[in-house]
Amino acid sequence: MSTDTQTPKPARSAPASRADRAGRPTLGKLWDTWGITAILALLLAATPLVAPDFLEFSNLQSVLRESAYLGIVAAGMTFAIASGAFDLSVGGQLALVSVVTLIGYSAGGTALAVAAAVATGLACGLVNAGLITGLRVPPFVATLGTLFVFRGVAYILTQDGPKTLPYDQIGSPFVKIGGLNVAGIPLPFVIMLVVYGAAWLLLRRTATGRRILSYGSSPAAARFCGISETRIRIFVFALVGVSVGIAALTYITRVWTADGSAQDGFELKVIAAVVLGGTSLKGGKGTLIGTFSAVLLVSVLNDMLVSQGVPSAYQRIVLGCVLIVALTIDGLRTRFAAPGSFRRALSVLVQRPSPVDGA
Amino acid sequence: MRKMGLLPIALAAALVMAGCSDSNATDPKTAGKDDKVVVGFSVYDMQYEFFQKMEAGTRAAATAKGWEFKLHDEKSDENEMVTGAQALIDQGVDVLIISPFKPSALGPIIAKAKAKGVPVIVDDIGGGGAPYDAIVISDNAGGGKLAADYMVKQIAANNKTSKNVASITCEPSAVYAARRNAGFKEAIEKAGFKVVAELSGNSKAEEGYKVMKDILAKNPDVAGVFSCNDPMGVAAANAIKDAGKNPVTDIVSVGFNADPEAITAIKAGGLAATVAQDPKAMGELTVKLAEQAIKKQAITFSNPAEREVFNPVALITKENADTVK
Repeated sequence: MSTDTQTPKPARSAPASRADRAGRPTLGKLWDTWGITAILALLLAATPLVAPDFLEFSNLQSVLRESAYLGIVAAGMTFAIASGAFDLSVGGQLALVSVVTLIGYSAGGTALAVAAAVATGLACGLVNAGLITGLRVPPFVATLGTLFVFRGVAYILTQDGPKTLPYDQIGSPFVKIGGLNVAGIPLPFVIMLVVYGAAWLLLRRTATGRRILSYGSSPAAARFCGISETRIRIFVFALVGVSVGIAALTYITRVWTADGSAQDGFELKVIAAVVLGGTSLKGGKGTLIGTFSAVLLVSVLNDMLVSQGVPSAYQRIVLGCVLIVALTIDGLRTRFAAPGSFRRALSVLVQRPSPVDGA
Repeated sequence: MRKMGLLPIALAAALVMAGCSDSNATDPKTAGKDDKVVVGFSVYDMQYEFFQKMEAGTRAAATAKGWEFKLHDEKSDENEMVTGAQALIDQGVDVLIISPFKPSALGPIIAKAKAKGVPVIVDDIGGGGAPYDAIVISDNAGGGKLAADYMVKQIAANNKTSKNVASITCEPSAVYAARRNAGFKEAIEKAGFKVVAELSGNSKAEEGYKVMKDILAKNPDVAGVFSCNDPMGVAAANAIKDAGKNPVTDIVSVGFNADPEAITAIKAGGLAATVAQDPKAMGELTVKLAEQAIKKQAITFSNPAEREVFNPVALITKENADTVK
């Protein structure tokens, strides 16, 4: 693109050129990236009124600590969904990685446990990628199948292997990962911040990130441009696997126990958070800032509902409604995606012709 | 945009350099904000009637003592269990009562409670080998004995001379449930009977049915059968009916748990008896133990090795089946 796209022209020079439109922020585009963050900010601003205890330091720590495992996997899932695919197996991966990590810890302590977690996550991701690229199974079906396979393997491994971190190991560096605070900030959340920093760079500042987005927006066009479908698939599913590996470290050291049933329904929570954040299910559009804020939004909301003694049936209803409302707003947003559309809509409301585009 | 991406990394790096602290090693908070005792109860899942009754008993007993009662629902999720129970401790409860969804996840909760000097009373399910202060469980062995005593009487009333009975167990990993069959066996053998078959139905109705068919094929003269839970108990009784015999007057069938299906079967003559647990009384008992733990009084254990306190169970037959809700 030419350099003049970087200098916003006055909006008066209608009709605006295409390049001009691309450079100007619109309400729709702002909503894409920052919408859920704005809602999170509103919710946090309301906390002193509805849940004063929420702002206690120990509670904030607890919310951040608890968000980490969901958030880290959601970062990986953002890539998968941006590339136009789902990974439905992350719940099975989390269970399997956690169980293998327990075995690794009992066999070789902290170092082996950490290595086992990341390696198992990567292996799970490569199994998915192999099924999708090698056997040409659609991602949705392949990962639905491996979801059950991974859980099954986890069940088999816990039949004879360790099911829990032993209580007498409470002082070991590994067990402390989940409970440690770094300058008051829970270590799992610090890990999550690092993961998001790296993921943001990968998606927004590398050629690989751009290829994933362009493949997601149009696989056919991307193929014409010489983007390898196989490489995109392998990369994305391996990335999801590694994210589960890292997430499992923050999970198992906080909960201490895992088996094949661990975190039943996890995959749907992850996908819900990614979609809530503004990543399009159609692929081609991904926002890590949105995912990050959506994960925190869900955690904050959950914590507030629990601490206010809302019965669990209503907690589920509230969280479901939040998802529906967010997606409804997302649908409305597409109407305001073009520049000036918001003003046009407003001008219709006040019953007078628009001074700008006036169409 | 660029700033947003790098900020977390810079922040994280700064924090790593700033040094570490351990959340499990914070100084013990002075118990309670005022002199009112606050009790936190983390419940397995409020969807189930058993735990609704347990919650009602716990709440009533705590309120009767003038305590503040805080409830947390684990929603059958080990992550929610750890997060929510730790949150109760953060909120400054003086004592924590918990019916754990996963006993093996009690470790991090009790570690935090110990760091803050909060006693932990476990209600049912299991202790997971963690250093809890006490655990309340139903008197499973006593329930097995109740079943045996009833069976002896009923067999005599049936005018049966056979001294052979059968016992269907839950899955081997269910250690508390195994005590039911052990208690049954001990009591019935004392009465001069012999357990000719002791087989596992893995807690499942369909397997209980199959196991009973096998028993009837190999030992057609059994005068009674005790099952470790009601789904298997009702299924075994159905197998007896399908074999053309009566599960009350021919082969005395006894289950365990007083599930609604068992009560219905007992009223219809499709099952002889069951043993009822009392979750409401269990909840009340945990509050009593919680008070003793706060006051640092010695707790009288039924099984000191595992710090277990047993809650009595009751036999349910056709005579008193209407009293069960």
